[in-house]
Formats: sequence, structure tokens, C-alpha cells
Amino acid sequence: MAIQVQYYLLLSAAMFCIGLFGILTRRNALLFLMSVELMLNAANVNLVAFSFQYGNITGQVFSLFTMALAAAEVAVGIGIILVLYRNFKDVDVTKAATMRW
Amino acid sequence: MAAEEIPLVFEFAPAIAVLPALSLVVALFFGEYFPKKGAEAGILATAGSLVLSLIMLATVAGGQTVNHELYTLVLGVSEETFGLHLGILIDPLSALMLTIVSLISFLVHVFSMGYMNDEGETGLPRYYGELGLFTASMLAFVMADNILMAFMFFELVGLASYLLIGFWFRDAGPPSAAKKAFLVTRFGDYFFLVGVVGIFATFFPATSTPGMFAGEHAFPVVAEHALAGEATVNTFGFEPQTWFTILGLLVLGGVIGKSAQFPLHSWLPDAMEGPTPVSALIHAATMVAAGVYLVARMYGFYALSPTALGVIALTGGFTALFAATMGVVKQEIKQVLAYSTISQYGYIMLGLGGGGYVAAVFHLTTHAVFKALLFLGAGSVIIAMHHNENMWDMGGLKEKMPVTYYSFLSGSLALAGIIPFAGFWSKDEVLFETLVHGLGTPTASSTLLLIGYAFGLVAVFFTGFYTFRMVFLTFHGEPRTDTAEDPHGVRWNVKAPLAVLGVLAATVGFINMTPVAELTGAHIEFLHQWLDMAPEEYLTNVHHYTEVLETASHYEAAHISPLAPGAVSLALALGGAGLAYQLYGTAAHPEPHTEKLGSIRTLLMHNYYLDEFQVWLATGVTYRVARAANTFDQGVVDGVVNGVSSVSLFSGSRVRRIQSGVVSNYASLITLSLVLLIAFFGIMGGWF
Repeated sequence: MAIQVQYYLLLSAAMFCIGLFGILTRRNALLFLMSVELMLNAANVNLVAFSFQYGNITGQVFSLFTMALAAAEVAVGIGIILVLYRNFKDVDVTKAATMRW
Repeated sequence: MAAEEIPLVFEFAPAIAVLPALSLVVALFFGEYFPKKGAEAGILATAGSLVLSLIMLATVAGGQTVNHELYTLVLGVSEETFGLHLGILIDPLSALMLTIVSLISFLVHVFSMGYMNDEGETGLPRYYGELGLFTASMLAFVMADNILMAFMFFELVGLASYLLIGFWFRDAGPPSAAKKAFLVTRFGDYFFLVGVVGIFATFFPATSTPGMFAGEHAFPVVAEHALAGEATVNTFGFEPQTWFTILGLLVLGGVIGKSAQFPLHSWLPDAMEGPTPVSALIHAATMVAAGVYLVARMYGFYALSPTALGVIALTGGFTALFAATMGVVKQEIKQVLAYSTISQYGYIMLGLGGGGYVAAVFHLTTHAVFKALLFLGAGSVIIAMHHNENMWDMGGLKEKMPVTYYSFLSGSLALAGIIPFAGFWSKDEVLFETLVHGLGTPTASSTLLLIGYAFGLVAVFFTGFYTFRMVFLTFHGEPRTDTAEDPHGVRWNVKAPLAVLGVLAATVGFINMTPVAELTGAHIEFLHQWLDMAPEEYLTNVHHYTEVLETASHYEAAHISPLAPGAVSLALALGGAGLAYQLYGTAAHPEPHTEKLGSIRTLLMHNYYLDEFQVWLATGVTYRVARAANTFDQGVVDGVVNGVSSVSLFSGSRVRRIQSGVVSNYASLITLSLVLLIAFFGIMGGWF
């Protein structure tokens, strides 16, 4: 018996909120990156769930693309974090505030 | 239009102006390589222009004229816009003027070899180039067939005279005199420009060529139809006649500036700072003549407005007397001549305003001859005196330089208006025409004419006096300085132009001897017949003007004999000359009698303090107004702008505080905003 779509959406919303919570509360850049991944994958879950609901495979294909994109994004993000560490000897995002105004 | 089939000879008409323009290029760029530093080019070019002008004169005498478009500046799209073009109009008036201008210019070029080359001046290629530009622009102005082209070359004439007055730009005086001449005439030209635009705007849909001077579609003719109710023009809410008066007076602004009429005359005496041959050219044939020529050219338009005519006559008459009184006390020979020029152009204006179109053109012609003569004569005296212009340092030059003396005397007799020299016939006719129209016209403008006449008549006495004061001080008595004792000799290139003009000054008056014609009944008013020869379709002939003057301005001539007024003005001229003889001609060492005038002399020497008044206008009024405007601009206009910018600067400096640089803050702001947005959409969209 198939699981109804609203459960998937609940799961997705929960994942998104966890990611958002991480972004708003954490100061470590690596945890930031993880939280962003979490939010991105919440969207992926949505895509797959709707694809399943409407019997259209396109959504699932797109979620594969999103995952590839997320991998690339993480690579860029880690690069930024490396530079951040090199300049500030830390990965605390609140320290890197020297370029305001 | 029948403009296509023009006689072959008129194909050469543009060359009259192009030749001096070529001499500008040749003299300016290659003058250094000529033995006479460019004078050759100028003399050849003006001689060519003179020959061509004489051919034009003969052709016009043969009954052929031309009025056609030569070069289109802006093509008019049919019915919606009008085109602008350059063109030539050769009718009796312009053919006559072309001949005068090219003749004077030719003689001035020859004279310049004596005045400039023989005196070892430097910068001669520039000098001859500028003379070429001056002549070319004046000739093009004279043959212009529309008012826009006339305006363009009018301005070029002003530019050329600016360059020539400031020829000795290393001294202190000439550059400032040049600037003054340029600015004062530009002030008048500003009104002229507005008038030109006004004429185009007024007459456009009524005629497709609103700027033309002559022909069925010319603006004076259309204006005449509009006044008769046969055509409609844009008069911007005014009565047609009122509006034409306004347009006429606007154009008159340029005329008053260029022809040095009161109150814009003050540039002309200062323009004496330029080389003397240039003064001769400016005063006789080009710059100053351009103004009155313009009035004569569009006389059909002025004839429609009795107010404009009255203003012209009154300005002219007043200027004639006003300038003549100042000429009485001057000590420099060229200053006396400068004031006489202003005064004589006052007469021409008086003639035009007084309904004497022929008389004014006649005086323009004779004045061109005798004033060029007097200036060249003065130039000869100045060479002899080693560039000392003070008449009190001269005296006794009669024996030393007989050619100069006799030709100068001929010019002086013409200027003073002594029978039978040229000036008598023309000045007398100007005064006579003004008098008969003043007496015969039933409307209020007759008063203006009579006042102008009275001014002109009194000025005759002063003219006689200052002219002969100048002659006696310069040539008679005993030499008062060593230079006058042993003057520098002059060569053929000075004497030949003087001789030619001396003969002309004595004889050119015979072309229109109205009193003699009246007395004998012989038809010898050649100039009148000449100007009346303009083709009917041009509507620029004398009988048409007379008709317009009668119908539109109610000018009517009283029937009186020209003999009595002529005798009165002759008696006044002789009286002035006689007084000068009494005071300066009898003694070997004349007394400076004008010093007895006391404070009046001081007033006259300072030119009625008009320069001071104008300087006060500039510094006391204009400068203060400008400073107030500047304060308003800096305080109010800039204040508003600065206030707005400081408000945004201040708010910007506050708002930028939210850019903390901390990523978490940004994230929370984004989240908060998103939540708010969703809530907003939810409430507006009615989700809850």
C-alpha cells in the first residue's frame, strides 16, 4: 500500500526547517554548508513526491540534476571555506565581517 | 516660377562674391610668397568683382534681372515645412550696391598698398585675407534673395570687421575696440535674429518661401495682402499691422546696431583703432552700409507700418544731429569723420523713414563715395604726419600735398552739402522728401517726420561747421609742428584712389538732380528711373513702394517746390562752413575756439557721457541683477537640489547599518521577509 503524498511533504517541510534552524543558529561555516544541503534535499524530496503523485517521471530526473548541482555547489562552498580559513584562521561566519559598508 | 530660364550672364553673378572669398584663401595661405604680401590677390579679385558688377549693372539696365535659388540648405517637405536656401537677387538696387561695394573695396585695396605695405606693417597676408572676407561677405549680403541668407552674411560682415578693427592686436586699444564693436552690433543682431525667426513663423503657411525679398511669394508682398485682407498669416493674436510693426522693429534692432544709430552708435568712433583703409571700407560701403541697405531691401515691408517708419525717421533725424554736435569738438581727424558717418547714416535713415526711398538710396550712394574719399584722404594725411592724427598738430598741408588737398576738399564740400557736390543733391532730397511727407501726411506720424526733419535741418549747419573746421585745421594756415612742416610723401597708390573718388564726389550727385528737374522739367532723375526699373513681378520698384506708403501708411506728399527747402539747407551749410572759416580759416595760427564752450565742450568731448552711462548700465544694473540671480541660483535652486541629496545621504547612512556583514543576520532577514511575504499573500489571497 502506497504512502500518501502529505507524509512526504511533512518530511520535506521538517527537513527544510531543520536546515533553516541550522543556518540561523550555527556559526560554523561547515555546518552552514550542511544545513544548506539539507534544505536543498528537502526540495528534492518534494520533487520526487509530486512526480510519484502525478505519475510523471520528469520530477525524478530533475532531482538527479539537482543532486549533481548540489555536489558542485558544495565543492565551491568548501573552496570558499578554505579561503575563509586562510584569511581569518577560523571558520566562524560572524568573524568575516570586514567588508561591510 | 520662371526661375529656370535665367540669362547666361547671371550665371556669373555668384562669382562677384566668390572672387574676394578666393582672395581670402590665396592671401592668407600664400600671401607671404607674393612681393606685395597678398595685395595682388585682393586687387585682382575686387577688380574682377567690379567688372562683373558693372556687367550686372549693364544687364539690369538692359531690362534683365534675376531672382533665383542657388543652393538649398534645407529642403522643404511640401505643404508641411518650408525650405531654406541661398539665392541671388539682382535688381536695380542690388546691382547699384554691388557696384558701389566692389568699387570702394577695389580702391581700398589699392590704397592699402600705400598705407600698409609702404609703411612696413607686418601681418599683411592676414590683413588682405580679412579684407577679402569683408568684401566677400558684404557682396553676398547685398545679393541675398532671402532674409536668412542676408542675416548669415550680415553676421559675417560683423565678424570680418571685428577682425580688422582688432588688426593691431598687440596694442591695448584695438582689441578692446574690436570687442566693443562686435558686442554692440551683436546686441542689435540678437533682435534681428528674433525678427528673422518671427518672419518665418508669420509667413510660413501663407507662402512656401517666407524669407524671400522680392516676388509674388515674398514676405513684404504677402504682408501687404494680409493687410488688405486677401491673405491670412500667423499674427500671434495681434492686429496684422501691429504685428508687422513689431517684426519690423525687431529687424530694425540689427540695423541700428550695424548702422551705428542712437543708442547703439558708440562702437563706431572706437572702431577708428583699426587701420584707416579699413575705416574707409567700414564707413563707406560695407559694415555700416549693411544696416540701411537691409531697410532699403525690405522697404516694402517697412512701408506697411507707419509706426516703424516714424521710429526710423525719428531715430535717424536725432542721430544726425546728435552725432554732428559731437563732431564739432573732436581733435583727431578720424574722430570727426567717424561722427560724420554716424550723422550721415542718420540722414539715410531719416530718408527711409520719411518715405524717400530713392532719396535714401541716393544718399547711400553719394555718401559711400565721399566718405571713402574722406577716409582715404585722412589716411594720406596720417601717412604724411607719421601716424599723428591730432588736427592741432597739422596745418598748412595744402601746399605740401595738393592731390590729397583737392580731393579731400571735394569730399568735404560733398559732406557739407555745398552745391554742386554730391552730398548737396542727396542730403537735400532726403530732407525734402521728409518735409513733403511730413506736411502732406494727415496721420499722427507726420509729427514724427517733422521733428526728424527739424533735427536733420539743424544738423546741416553743424555738418558744415565741423567739416570745414577739419579742412582748415588740417590743410590751411601755417604748419604747427615739425612733422607738418616736412610731411612724409605719398605715392601713386594713395593718390590714384583719391583722384578717382575726388572726381566722383564732385559728379555723382548729377544722377538725381531733383531740384533741377523740377525747375527745367527735364527728365534727369536717373536714379529714380533706375530704381523704378525693377520688374513688376518683383514688386520692389519705386511706384509700388509709393503706392504701399499711401495705402498702408497714409503717406502723402505735399506739393511744394523743392527750391525753397533746398535753399534753406544750402544756406545753413554755407553758414556752418562760413563760421568755420571765420574761426579757423583766416588766422595763420587759429585759436582753439571750441574751448570757449566750456562745460558744453566737456560734455561733447565725453560723447554726452553715453559710454559712461552704458558702463553704468553694465556694472550698476546688469551686474547687480546678475549677482542677485546668482544668489538666487546658488541659494534657492542649488539649495533645493542640495537639500534633496543631503536627505538621501543621511537616510543612506542610517539604513546601511543593517548591512552588518554577519551572514546569520542576512539569513534571518531573508527568512523573516519571506515569512512576511507569504503571510501578506496569504491574507490578501484569502488562504486563511
